[in-house]
Amino acid sequence: MGLGLFDDVVAAHHPEIYRYLRRLTSRANEADDLAQETFLRAYRAWQGLGPDANVRAWLFAIATNLARNHFRAEARRRRAYVAAGERRAEADPAGPEEEHVFRETRALVDRVVAELPLKQRLAFTLRKIHDLDYEAIGESLECSPESARAHVFQALKKIRVSLNGHELPALEPMR
Amino acid sequence: MTPKHPFCRAIEPDLVATATGEAGTAAARRVEDHAQRCAPCRDELGRYRTIDAVARGLRHATPPAADEAASRAALRARLADLRSRVLTYGIVPSPLGNILVARSEQGVSLVEYLGEATTLAASRLRELADVETVESSAEIARLRDELLDFLAGRRRELGWRLDLRLAGSDFSRAVLQTAARIPYGAVTSYSAIARRLGRPQAVRAVAQALRRNPLPIVVPCHRVVGSSGMLTGYAGDKLGLKRQLLDVEGVPTRPAARDFRVRRETMYVRAGEDRAYCLPTCGDLPSHSLADLTLIASRESVEALGLEPCSDCRPDLHPIAS
Repeated sequence: MGLGLFDDVVAAHHPEIYRYLRRLTSRANEADDLAQETFLRAYRAWQGLGPDANVRAWLFAIATNLARNHFRAEARRRRAYVAAGERRAEADPAGPEEEHVFRETRALVDRVVAELPLKQRLAFTLRKIHDLDYEAIGESLECSPESARAHVFQALKKIRVSLNGHELPALEPMR
Repeated sequence: MTPKHPFCRAIEPDLVATATGEAGTAAARRVEDHAQRCAPCRDELGRYRTIDAVARGLRHATPPAADEAASRAALRARLADLRSRVLTYGIVPSPLGNILVARSEQGVSLVEYLGEATTLAASRLRELADVETVESSAEIARLRDELLDFLAGRRRELGWRLDLRLAGSDFSRAVLQTAARIPYGAVTSYSAIARRLGRPQAVRAVAQALRRNPLPIVVPCHRVVGSSGMLTGYAGDKLGLKRQLLDVEGVPTRPAARDFRVRRETMYVRAGEDRAYCLPTCGDLPSHSLADLTLIASRESVEALGLEPCSDCRPDLHPIAS
């Protein structure tokens, strides 16, 4: 029945999906609920999944969809923004080797990302943090790969603008 | 920001793509060439590269491992619960109309005649509160093939693992388990089952339990008839199906009043749990009701039960002409 296989799916993908949702919601219990719901849904649909399906992208799509619904419901209840400033404190074990400026910038970027319009924020997170391709991001956001790319581009531009006047860390030569 | 040169504005998407490693070779070269000559764009390129690096650095920020582990443990518990409630089903077109077959992790849990209906809407699954349904013809494929083989007479046993949770009560389950042991090509009566359960008075309750059998065909309630040999009823109003199933197994029936009757005069007989089988005319057998008899359609079925021929009537020497 492929049920044993589903255990493997949980083992392989739960940590990452949880991390993704935790980043989006910033609250442990919400991430917890959404991650569970993601896998329960996946389980129900699992048997209909083709053998060649990209399970990881599929799980991200389910998680993203649930997160979007969650945020919509949330927004109806109260217009609340994620307290991005405080959330890194628990989640970010900044090493001593890390430059102060780099850390500062990262916190700033994180905060800007948290305040992006939802689709841009999701596209950015999926692309930059989870390294999904635009095809998969498009599936998650129910848009074309081109639109997904545009969302990431818009997100980068907004981050760029928000960093105006900010000292940026020196980057080691990339090439 | 200061207004940009139109060319700089035009090249901006490529510039961002280059900085984030997503530009094609040609676009990247164009951007690099331009940045050589244009200081603001060179600066932009550097800034976007930094942003990209910083953003990628965010992926190393992970929530506490304990949180993830706790979440996964909770998920496993909920999955286990869901698994116990999920029924995977498929709808099988058959000579008896459409038949819904559903299975849980424990075994096959529902076989339901849908008649002409082709969707779950017609099924009692819709009314079961604690059940979640998942359609999957692929998962049901083996069951479907075996079921169709059985209905075509190509297979005598289904041998499926059963999940009897949809039976209404412990008594119903006991009735179904008893009925499940009636062999292929044989018939017995409601009273015989009641006796076997040690509840000889509970004939009506036995009939009721079989009428609500969630697993017709598999639990062969079609092999249970009235003490007089009348078919008496099947799955509500589907007497015709009962007769078809008996026909597949070679059990002869003939019309009687508004019902059908098993032609016991052309079937071998086993009394109670005897190890022997008889001709229907042996001794005073013709005067017995079916309350303590099993009728068996063919020598093949008799042999499958490993019964000895009766030493009085010698059915082995005088087989019933079929």
